[in-house]
Amino acid sequence: MIVIILLITKNQFMSNLSPKKLPHQPTRSTHRQQKKQQRVNLKNLYSRACKDAFIKFNPKTMLKNPVMFIVWVGTIITALLTVDPSLFGPAPGENQRLFNGLVTIILFLTVLFANFAEAVAEGRGKAQADSLRSTKADTVARRLLADGSVEEISSTKLQKGDRIKVIAGDFIPADGEVIDGVASVDESAITGESAPVLKEPGSDVASSVTGGTRIISDELVIKITAEPGQGFLERMIALVEGAKRTKTPNEIALTVLLAVLTQVFLVVVATIPPIAYYVGSPVGIVTLIALLVALIPTTIGGLLSAIGIAGMDRVAQFNVVATSGRAVEACGDINTLVLDKTGTITLGNRLAEELIPVCGHSQAEIARVALAASIFDNTPEGKSIVKLAQQLGAALDFDQSKAEGIEFSAKTRMSGTDLPDGSQARKGAVSAIKGFVRSRGGKNNSDLDQAYERVSHLGGTPLAVALDSNVYGVVYLKDIIKPGMKERFNQLRRMGVKSVMLTGDNRITASVIAQEAGVDDFIAEATPEDKIRVIQQEQAQGKLVAMTGDGTNDAPALAQANVGLAMNSGTQAAKEAANMVDLDSDPTKLIDLVTIGKQLLITRGALTTFSLANDIAKYFAIIPAMFAAAGIGSLNLMGLASSQSAILSALIYNAIIIPILIPLALTGVKFRPLTANQLLTRNILIYGLGGIIAPFIGIKIIDLIITSIGLA
Amino acid sequence: MKFITKYLPDFLEEITELFYQQRKINPLPIWLFLALCFNLVIAPAIYAATGEDLTPKASYALGILTLVTVALSLYLFVVIFQPERF
Repeated sequence: MIVIILLITKNQFMSNLSPKKLPHQPTRSTHRQQKKQQRVNLKNLYSRACKDAFIKFNPKTMLKNPVMFIVWVGTIITALLTVDPSLFGPAPGENQRLFNGLVTIILFLTVLFANFAEAVAEGRGKAQADSLRSTKADTVARRLLADGSVEEISSTKLQKGDRIKVIAGDFIPADGEVIDGVASVDESAITGESAPVLKEPGSDVASSVTGGTRIISDELVIKITAEPGQGFLERMIALVEGAKRTKTPNEIALTVLLAVLTQVFLVVVATIPPIAYYVGSPVGIVTLIALLVALIPTTIGGLLSAIGIAGMDRVAQFNVVATSGRAVEACGDINTLVLDKTGTITLGNRLAEELIPVCGHSQAEIARVALAASIFDNTPEGKSIVKLAQQLGAALDFDQSKAEGIEFSAKTRMSGTDLPDGSQARKGAVSAIKGFVRSRGGKNNSDLDQAYERVSHLGGTPLAVALDSNVYGVVYLKDIIKPGMKERFNQLRRMGVKSVMLTGDNRITASVIAQEAGVDDFIAEATPEDKIRVIQQEQAQGKLVAMTGDGTNDAPALAQANVGLAMNSGTQAAKEAANMVDLDSDPTKLIDLVTIGKQLLITRGALTTFSLANDIAKYFAIIPAMFAAAGIGSLNLMGLASSQSAILSALIYNAIIIPILIPLALTGVKFRPLTANQLLTRNILIYGLGGIIAPFIGIKIIDLIITSIGLA
Repeated sequence: MKFITKYLPDFLEEITELFYQQRKINPLPIWLFLALCFNLVIAPAIYAATGEDLTPKASYALGILTLVTVALSLYLFVVIFQPERF
């Protein structure tokens, strides 16, 4: 029977092992997860879990789970009573040794199954950690000394601040920032994505490198940013392995509830003997232990840690590294999502679609100025403006080497070029360009406002183009909303999660995109400081806020948010401030994380309800059996054959329900985007009512089997 | 500690100090030993209360069972009031 249960558990779990595709999960991520899945060796998962399940019988380990510790102590006492049935006094009834032995075996299996559930959940993390550990080989690093010479040392001896040189074919020995060179790096060991990533200095998103990844072309000079043993890979290994796993607030609250229930039942059972003696129906110690084990919530007690570990694992399967289970749980309680527009709600590759001349200027003139203003702009937007201007016949009419590029900043909200003749070509937010023109004695024309409104109403980003005091026109940057975003925001709304879109675009564009995407609120012309302000405002109302970010200027907001998801392609500061890092650098994943967090909380709640509801049937099985002599036989609703068969049936049911529920604990209750009240009603019906009915049927069937084979 | 040992004979003082030191190194055997000693008080009480029904051995075992139950109850109180330790 045990073998059958383990096989069923294994098959159900294995069939669910590949990451679940949440609604609208991007295919790209799923593909990466599958590749990552292949790397993780799950072959020995069950053999290792079986071994670990026995190791967990160590009393020091058992002490951490109060419910199962009580069962463990009960097992020892019944084992002693199997050896000497009259240890605590005369043993009434026949075949006491056989009965005690059977109870001991069942209690032992109850603890074993609970340990097995936890070991299976931990096993995947350990397999993942092994896979990561194989990546983190001790390599030889080329450290650059102050005099420019190169010294070869072990990668474990590298200190923060050291400068190293890596060439094509090398594994990058530690986390760092690129300070010189341009090279392609294979980050598949971390992200599962085999396409190489370009690394270069001076860029927020492309300058950070991770230890364990491999450089596949050219060479780089890297400044080490992590102390030995404190790198991203080491932290990731510790996390997936659960080495630093601490109980989350919800787990602690549930542990207290389970301990209170166990305490109450312990007191109840301990005070039964005098009452039983008084009513003339004395009960044996084994029966009392059986009653105690049947009444305490062993199902949730045995599966509680497995549910938490599996929740962390589900997040890891989505290629997201969470710093703690607390962060995963917080995802489930999120009230507000703060999302960037570009790259999260829209595809993010804004391209110049049209150049709209104003103030009587021609298309050729605006193309010439737009080209001049964008020639040093290496962003996709800037490059697309250059391309469109060149398509319209524009060409540079100055020496580029003598001109100076002016970078975009959140403060000025424009970029451009200072030309060799002293004139200044600028492109940027319309309000910023208006101010620029005014400051040079120019006037703004109503044409500009009309073009600006036209582009904004199309949901595009209008960029005004000016040369000194003259406005030449507006560039229409077109962006496309990601498919399925409206449905996802609708789902979030049904779950009670408010979405807020932040964008640097003007109010009209922001409102058009917000309406099309279906977000609840938006903040237009937002600066990075606005992010932290919005988060603080929401938190002041007692709400939990989640946000994504990748830049250094996002770090304070990431740290302030209850759930901060940093992109792996982002800066070290952002990754350190956030409590989750997305290895795929896909900001949309925050929506999936909310779903995973809610699924974790729902699973825990559902199994707790089921476990507590189960007690009712077990009560009706054991109490009539205990006090049969006291004339309460009418309480034997299930018509169980004898007192011994009733106790054995209830205990067997109590034991086997744990492995039966392991797949549900590990994969989670199927998530449905419903309101909290709808979910509560649904789960009370399924797991509450089901938890009352199922054991009545289960115990009766087991009783029939036990009676038919003559065990009791 | 000094307050207790002041009123004890020398040999008891040494034993108490030894217990005190060992309790810090490995408390479990000391607690077990003290529990078994305490049971020497409980077991005769149980034997006396149950008359001829129980043997002295069964009384002693029941005494231990009582202590185990009390210990479990104390353990559960610790879990309830200091859950983060678990």
